[in-house]
Amino acid sequence: MQHHLILRVVVKILVAAIILFALYVQFHGDFSPGGGFQAGVIMAAAFILYGIVFGMAKVKQVVPEWVVHRMMGLGVLIYAGCGVASMFLGYEFLNYNAFTPHHPSHGQHYGLLIVEFGVGVTVTGVMISIFYAFASRPPTLKDSDW
Amino acid sequence: MSAVIDILSWVCIIGGVFFSVVGAIGMLRFPEFWTRLHAASVAESGGMILLVLGMCLQAGWSLILVKLILIGFFLFVTGPTSSHAVANAALVSGQNPVVAKKAKKKRT
Amino acid sequence: MTETILTLILFAMLVAVAFAIIQMRQLFAVVLLSSVFSLLTALLFVIMDAVDVAFTEAAVGAGISTVLMLGTIALTRKRSAERTRSDILPFFVVAVTGAALVYGTLDMPNFGDANAPANAYLRQDYLDRSVTEIDVPNVVTAILASYRGFDTLGETAVVFTAGIGVLLLLGGLAYRRAEDDEES
Repeated sequence: MQHHLILRVVVKILVAAIILFALYVQFHGDFSPGGGFQAGVIMAAAFILYGIVFGMAKVKQVVPEWVVHRMMGLGVLIYAGCGVASMFLGYEFLNYNAFTPHHPSHGQHYGLLIVEFGVGVTVTGVMISIFYAFASRPPTLKDSDW
Repeated sequence: MSAVIDILSWVCIIGGVFFSVVGAIGMLRFPEFWTRLHAASVAESGGMILLVLGMCLQAGWSLILVKLILIGFFLFVTGPTSSHAVANAALVSGQNPVVAKKAKKKRT
Repeated sequence: MTETILTLILFAMLVAVAFAIIQMRQLFAVVLLSSVFSLLTALLFVIMDAVDVAFTEAAVGAGISTVLMLGTIALTRKRSAERTRSDILPFFVVAVTGAALVYGTLDMPNFGDANAPANAYLRQDYLDRSVTEIDVPNVVTAILASYRGFDTLGETAVVFTAGIGVLLLLGGLAYRRAEDDEES
């Protein structure tokens, strides 16, 4: 099954670059355009590309289904947990000043990063698991019918 | 010096626009799949390289130059790859070039 | 001036693509054209300086939703069904809705109007305060995740719920059922 050799080689290069870019968008979102939503989608796009070219079995070895399904909930938990943590520290829900009371803007910074990370995790999980759900069903169209 | 760079970059950009337009006209006017693919790849590689080169010359030594080079690299890699994938899919699904029929006739 | 011309050209292309989508019966072409539509929308967002939105539109609309729609075609069929009923009622509904939307835009402030409600009250406040309070160069992120953190929590929950809904509809959780059956 070495038919799509060129595609495989190029995708191998691209997937790494796309994941790197997704991480850049994720964690640099407070300095340049971007944030959790965009980063999550880009990260998911990397795995979807890998799945399209190398097949579902391969990509499910990299990120098994149970991982993406747990990622969906984990992101929301990280986000809400950040809010609950600030409540336990004696501030309002999602008031990031709680993390470094002596220097509020630093706390805001940490809060932004954690919250955006939560969003990114959820979006990645949702996108990949929707793709799995679509691609794992046996197709009704044959390849020659397209 | 800046005038020379300006002229060079404009030559590049106008050349890139020319190739892109020619590719677009080719896409519309050519009769069948393979010639159209040929026209598309003219716009895709020739036009793209010249456009990015022209923009690089305009950008000067800055972060934008690095970003443009990265964009150019990715387009340079992905463009021919997607052309290859399309051509491959067409060949598998049984699209044969029109010219090949005539050549076959002559041989037989 | 250049911006206006660019915007007009892009809007004209959007309309042309929309008409092409309506005309097509081949669903594969429809999917690719809607990807083109998303890309044009993303370009419009870039011209309006909404880079964050353009980012999302390009990645979701032109990238992933195209793949998902192609996946859907593989699960269904490749041509839309021939219309059997008359077109008059749908046309009427669409025309009335469109007229109402156009009528609604008459009340909207101009693009970039300083007196528009969106710009008049909170915007300056956010811009002034985020420098000292949050100290993050990208104000969009500051507003999204800090000032309107509760909103974004809701959005994340919506994404999560939508994902679960799709999984339930498509049987994406089937592997669990299989595991449960083996255990019992």
